Amino acid sequence: MNRQEEIRNFCIIAHIDHGKSTLADRLMELTGSVAKRDMQEQLLDSMDLEREKGITIKLTPTTMSYNFNGEDYTLNLIDTPGHVDFTYEVSRSLAACEGAILIVDASQGVEAQTLANAYLAIDNNLEILPVINKIDLPSARPEEVKLEIEDVVGIFAEDAPCISAKNGTNIDKVLEMIVKRVPCPSGDENAPLKCLIFDSVYDNFKGAVCVIRVIDGSIKAGDKIFIMQAKKSYEVTEVGIFKPKMEACEKLMAGDVGYITASIKNISDVRVGDTITNLNNMTKFPLEGYKEVQPVVFCGIFTADGAKYNDLKEALLKLKLNDASLQFSPEVSQALGFGFRCGFLGLLHLEIITERIEREFNLDIITTAPSVSYMIYKTNGDVLEISNPANFPTPVEIEKICEPMVKASLFTPPEYVGAIMDLCQDKRGVYKNLQYLDKTRVKIDYDLPLGEIIYDFFDKLKSATKGYASFDYELSGFVESDLVKVDILLNGEKCDALSLIAHKEKAYSRGRAIVEKLKKIIPRQLFEVPIQAAIGNKIIARETVSAMRKDVLAKCYGGDITRKRKLLEKQKEGKKRMRQIGSVEIPSEAFLSILKIDDEN
Amino acid sequence: MKTKFSIYVHIPFCESKCIYCDFASFVCAKEIKEKYFKALKNEINDFSKEGVVSSIYFGGGTPSCVNAKKITDILKLIKKKFVISENCEITIECNPNSASFFKLSAYRRAGFNRVSFGVQSLKNEALKFLGRAHTASQAIRAVLNAQKAGFKNISVDFLIGLQNQKIEDLTDEALTMINLNVSHISAYMLQVEERTPLYKMVKLNQIKLPKEDDVIGLYNDFSKFLKKHKFERYEISNFAKKNFYSKHNINYWKMGEYAGFGLSAHSFLDGYRISNSDNFADYFNGKNREKEFIDNKKRIEEIIMLGLRCKFGFSLLEIKNLGFDITKTPSYKNFLNNKIIKEKRGRVYLNQKYICVSNSIICELLP
Repeated sequence: MNRQEEIRNFCIIAHIDHGKSTLADRLMELTGSVAKRDMQEQLLDSMDLEREKGITIKLTPTTMSYNFNGEDYTLNLIDTPGHVDFTYEVSRSLAACEGAILIVDASQGVEAQTLANAYLAIDNNLEILPVINKIDLPSARPEEVKLEIEDVVGIFAEDAPCISAKNGTNIDKVLEMIVKRVPCPSGDENAPLKCLIFDSVYDNFKGAVCVIRVIDGSIKAGDKIFIMQAKKSYEVTEVGIFKPKMEACEKLMAGDVGYITASIKNISDVRVGDTITNLNNMTKFPLEGYKEVQPVVFCGIFTADGAKYNDLKEALLKLKLNDASLQFSPEVSQALGFGFRCGFLGLLHLEIITERIEREFNLDIITTAPSVSYMIYKTNGDVLEISNPANFPTPVEIEKICEPMVKASLFTPPEYVGAIMDLCQDKRGVYKNLQYLDKTRVKIDYDLPLGEIIYDFFDKLKSATKGYASFDYELSGFVESDLVKVDILLNGEKCDALSLIAHKEKAYSRGRAIVEKLKKIIPRQLFEVPIQAAIGNKIIARETVSAMRKDVLAKCYGGDITRKRKLLEKQKEGKKRMRQIGSVEIPSEAFLSILKIDDEN
Repeated sequence: MKTKFSIYVHIPFCESKCIYCDFASFVCAKEIKEKYFKALKNEINDFSKEGVVSSIYFGGGTPSCVNAKKITDILKLIKKKFVISENCEITIECNPNSASFFKLSAYRRAGFNRVSFGVQSLKNEALKFLGRAHTASQAIRAVLNAQKAGFKNISVDFLIGLQNQKIEDLTDEALTMINLNVSHISAYMLQVEERTPLYKMVKLNQIKLPKEDDVIGLYNDFSKFLKKHKFERYEISNFAKKNFYSKHNINYWKMGEYAGFGLSAHSFLDGYRISNSDNFADYFNGKNREKEFIDNKKRIEEIIMLGLRCKFGFSLLEIKNLGFDITKTPSYKNFLNNKIIKEKRGRVYLNQKYICVSNSIICELLP
C-alpha cells in the first residue's frame, strides 16, 4: 500500500448535544491515543467554558493509529465547532477531510444543525457516514431515525452503526467503517506545496500555531513558506502532529494533518481558509473557499470600574491573539466612559468572549445591547454602515435604512408549528416554506431580520416549543426596512448607551417596556427622575422615579460611631458601581436588563 | 483648662428581650450579673485619665432591671476615681416597669440628674407586640415617680412605624408626656434588623409594617407637632426643650472624648475608637477589644457625618485644616445650589427638609 492509502481524514458533525465530543473521546480511548488515566471527560474541548457549555468552540485535531486486518492506519480526527456562529470555520475543517461521521441522536432524530452540517459536508464532497447515537436511552428509536436520515438528508443510512458513545457500545464498528468507507487522500507528494489552514492557536513561546492539512507536496522545518491571501512569508521552525498534544515530527506530506510554527507574531496573518505554499516553489492555484469572516453582531463593552479600561484593552488583545474573528475599536460613551465597540460572529461568540473576559481576566464588565450593522442611506447621498445606535444620524438626515436578513430553517414536531409561526411573525419574519419531513418533524423556512434574532429569539423558541425545536440560519443580505432609533432620556438627558434601533411598529412598545423596566431598576434619588423614551424629539413613553424620602436612620447608640461610619463608607463604595448620567445615578445592571425585555410587558 | 470627657457604662441585662432589639442585652442568671459588676468595677479601676468628666450615661440593656445598689455603687466608684464637673449630666436609662419610686429615689440620691424612659408607645397592644415588659399606665406612673424623686430632666423614647400607627396616636401619646412635663423626646423609626424575631416575622409576612413613605409622613408630622410644643429637633432623632439637649449625646456628635465601660462599650480616646467585646467570656478576660486609629481622612468623614446629623453642623475650617477643602467638590456646590445644605458663618448645615435622606447626602460629601 502506498503511504496515503493508510491515512483517513475525517470529522464528526452533529447537532448540538447529539454526542460529538463523547464519540471523539471513545475513538481516542479505543485506539489507545490517550491513556485511560489521562482521560478527562470530553478531551477535545480544552477550554473550561467549552466543557461547561457542552459546546466546542476551538477545533482540536488529533492523530490516532488503528490496526485493522493487520494493517496500521493513521486516522486524523478533525473536530468542528458545533454552532451556527462558526459555520465558516466548520466549512474549512470539512475541506480538510475526505469523510464525515454524521451523528444523529436516536431519540431526537434529525435537527436543524444535523441538516445544515450535512449539507456543508455534501458541498465539500465528503463521504458521509451516518451513526445513530444514544441507543441506550429508553426513548431511542434507531430504525425510525435511519429512515428520517434517508428522507430528510437524502443519504443511505440503513447500515448506519447504532452506538452508545456514553457506554462505549459498537465504537469498533465506527472505526471499521472509517477505514472501509472514508476515501484515502490522493494528493501529489511531488507537486508544489499546498496546505489548508483550518485553525490557528496562539502559543506564548512559538507564536501562532497553524493547524493544517497538507493537500500536495511536503513541508518541514527550515522551509520558506508563503501564505497566499495574507501575502506573508515565513520560515518554518517546527512541524508536528497532534496526539492530541503537539508532538514535533520530521515533516508533513500530502494527506497529513498537523501543525506548523514559523515565529508568526500576528494571528491575523494565518486566517482560516488561507493557503500555505513554498516560497521557492509556489503552487499556481490557491485553495478555493477562502473568505474573510465579518462580524455580524456588535456591542459595546465597558468596565464596571472605569479605571480598569487598560485591563480591558489588555484582555481583548490577548483574546484576539487566539481569535482573528474578534474585532474591536475604542468607543467613548457619555454614560459608560471609555470602552470598546466589539464585533462578533454571532450571539454565542459574544457570550463566550464576554464570559472569558470576566472569568479569565477577572474583570467586571458592562455590555450594551447587541446590535447588528445597518446600511444607512442619507439624504445627501452618503451611505454609512453603522452598528452603534448612538451614532445614528437624525431622522431627517435619513433617506432609508437597510437591515441584514437571514434565511432561517426551523425543525419542530408538528404540534409547535403554530407557536413557531407566531414567534416568527412577531419577529417580523417572512414565511417561505413548510415541509412535513415525516409524521414527527416539520421544517419551516422563514426570512428573518438578524436584528430580531439576536435579542431573545433562542429563548423564546425554546420556551414556545418546550425545547423541541431547533434552529439554523445563514445571512442573506440587506433589505430596506422601516426602522427608527429609540432614545432613552433620564432627567431630560439622553443616555447614549441605552439607545436602540427598532422597527417603527414596535418602537412604541419597546420604548414603553424599557422605561417601565428602568423605573424598577433605578433607585430613588434625592430628586424626582423622569425616564422617557423618544423617537427624535417625540416622547413616546414616560415614567417617573419619585424622590427618595428616607435612608437608614440608624442611631448612633452608645457612641458606636465606627459602625455608622463604616455603613456610610460601604454605601459610598456601592455608589462606585453606579453610573452617572447627568445628575442621575443608575446601576450597572440597568444596561444589561434592557436586553431581557419582553415586548408584551 | 482641663480636658473634658464623658463616661458611658453599659448594663447589658434585660428582663425580657424585645422582638426588634439587636443590641448587646441579655436575660441573665444572677451569677453572671455578679461577675459582670465585678468585672465592670475592675475595668473602671484600671482606667485612668486626666481631665474632668462632663457627662455620665448608664445605658443598656436596662440599667433599672438590676438592684439599685449595684448601679449606685458604680456611680460612686466613678465619682471617687475621676474629677466630676460641677454641672455634670448623669443619665440613667430605665424601663417603666422596673423604675419604682424607691429605685428612682436611690438613683437621685446617688447623683443621677437625668432619666431616660423607654416608653416606645402608650398603646398596650403595641407594647405587648413589641415584647416590652411594661404597660401604658406603668409608663405614666414611672414619669410621675421620677418627678417625685426629684428628677427635673426626663426623657422618653417613642417608636415610629408601628403597625397601624396613626399620627393622632403619636401626638396624643406625646401630648400626654409633654403634659407630664418631660423635657426631652427621642423618636426612632422602627428598624427591622437582621437576627431579630421581628425580621423573621416580616420575612414570613406574619406582620405588615407601614410603608416607608407613610412612616416618613408620620415622622415629619410628629416633628412638626413637637416643634409646636417647643421641642426642637437638635439631632435626627432627638427633640428637646431649650436647655435640655442631652450633653452626653452632643459630646458624641461633636467628636468629644469618652470612655466606655462594660460589654460592647465604645470609647473615643487619644484619637482611637475602641470597642469592648460583645461576648461575656471575652469581656471578662479583656479579650477582643478592637482599636482603630482615626486618621485625618476618617476624622473628616466623622466630622461631616456627625455634624450634618444634628443642628450644629460642621466647620469648614476644621476639615480644611485636616486636608479636605470640601467647598471645591462638585457635590458640595451642587447641594449648596439646590439648597440641600446651607453655609452660615463658616459652618455647614443640612436643610431640615432633607434630614431623612441625610445618609445619601453625607455619602456624596465624604472625601
